[in-house]
Amino acid sequence: MSALAGTLMNSSADLVTRVCQGDSDAFRLIFERYSRPVISFIYDMVGDRALAEELTQETFVRAFRAIHTMRAETKLSTWLFGIARNVARESLRARARAASHVDLADRSVMDLSDKRPVPVDGVLSKELNDVIRRSLAQLDEDKRLVFTLKVLHQCSYEEIAEITGFSLAKLKTDLHRARVEMRRRIGSYAGVGYEV
Amino acid sequence: MKSEFDLELLKEYLEGDAAAEQELFARYDRDVRVPAELWAGVEQRIAPVRAASVGWWLRVAAGLVLVIGLGSVFLLSQKDETIGALELPERRPTVIESKQALVKPGKRFLRIKKKPITTDNPGVISSDSGYLDIDEQDTAQHIERTENLLRSIRNFPMSETDDEIDVTYDKALSRRLLIENVVLRRDAEMKAKFPTKTLLADLEPLLIDIANLPDHAKPEELRAIKERVQKTEIVAALIDFQDRGPNNR
Repeated sequence: MSALAGTLMNSSADLVTRVCQGDSDAFRLIFERYSRPVISFIYDMVGDRALAEELTQETFVRAFRAIHTMRAETKLSTWLFGIARNVARESLRARARAASHVDLADRSVMDLSDKRPVPVDGVLSKELNDVIRRSLAQLDEDKRLVFTLKVLHQCSYEEIAEITGFSLAKLKTDLHRARVEMRRRIGSYAGVGYEV
Repeated sequence: MKSEFDLELLKEYLEGDAAAEQELFARYDRDVRVPAELWAGVEQRIAPVRAASVGWWLRVAAGLVLVIGLGSVFLLSQKDETIGALELPERRPTVIESKQALVKPGKRFLRIKKKPITTDNPGVISSDSGYLDIDEQDTAQHIERTENLLRSIRNFPMSETDDEIDVTYDKALSRRLLIENVVLRRDAEMKAKFPTKTLLADLEPLLIDIANLPDHAKPEELRAIKERVQKTEIVAALIDFQDRGPNNR
């Protein structure tokens, strides 16, 4: 049994208090609890698995260094997503738009057919996963951020506002536009003949 | 190749069905896992921080010892007992006679010798703002003015007894800055100055919200903006931008 067993029922607030008191096991628990959502979120933002791992590491290192500044009323997940968002954003800027964008007319996008057997029900086909990933990558940064937090991570508007610092009006506008774009792109990529 | 199930879900999603959207994206598999070595990397990087926190306690302890020591010295000196003497070299100020001193004998002026200003790299012509192009000067001035506005809002003292706060000036300034911001952002975008464009784009929602405040804003309205300024750390980003210099923008 792991040395951490028995402590998994700790609340996030307790864990934060323990980390501030110098308990490194508590930070390990925070990592185990939140690393998956954080890495998924960063991956949604940057679209690169290796980079997402690297940025997740950076996120948790920054979180550890700044955890004593976290306000008591802030949710740990919201706070971590806020750091992850900053880390992902810095990385995206550093890449200086050099990364090649996949164009709608790109042959690699049009030739997405896969001859392998259909995966079991309950899991989307790889093809559709790829289509979603590519469509997501083509949204602009703000829209992708809002869409990812709302649709993929089911955050509330208040949480998104806290993470991003955007006003509610901007959030809703961005989310609406992101949804329209995603439908258009997914419909177009997937070639099911549905245009929105 | 898509399964029938996927196609059905996809059709419903494309038709605008909210439940289908939720289901579709809930099934979206990023195939991302948390590798075991990720925690090892985090642990390795936070170890110096932990060591530093131990070092911090040592510094506190050393400080306490020093305070106690100095306190003892003070108490002993109250009893007129000399513990030790330290002789410091005498410093003489440089005295330069000016022309005025010659006219009025008796009066002397101290003049501080200034080191000549040298640049780190003589190969660089200058980093002075006078050598920036007009757009960059405009952007630099705009960023500075916006920083001042946001600082004044961030540092605005608010008390619980305030019914409303007069923000007429800040509103008017924000409107002017907003118009300027839009022009400079478009310009930066056209010239492919992406970091500048991104920073200006980040400023815009804040400027809009300040410009749309009522003349006499309620404390909670101003507090919301103050909190956003703090959370987004936009002032720090503006300072960083100004420190970076024109070649890195």
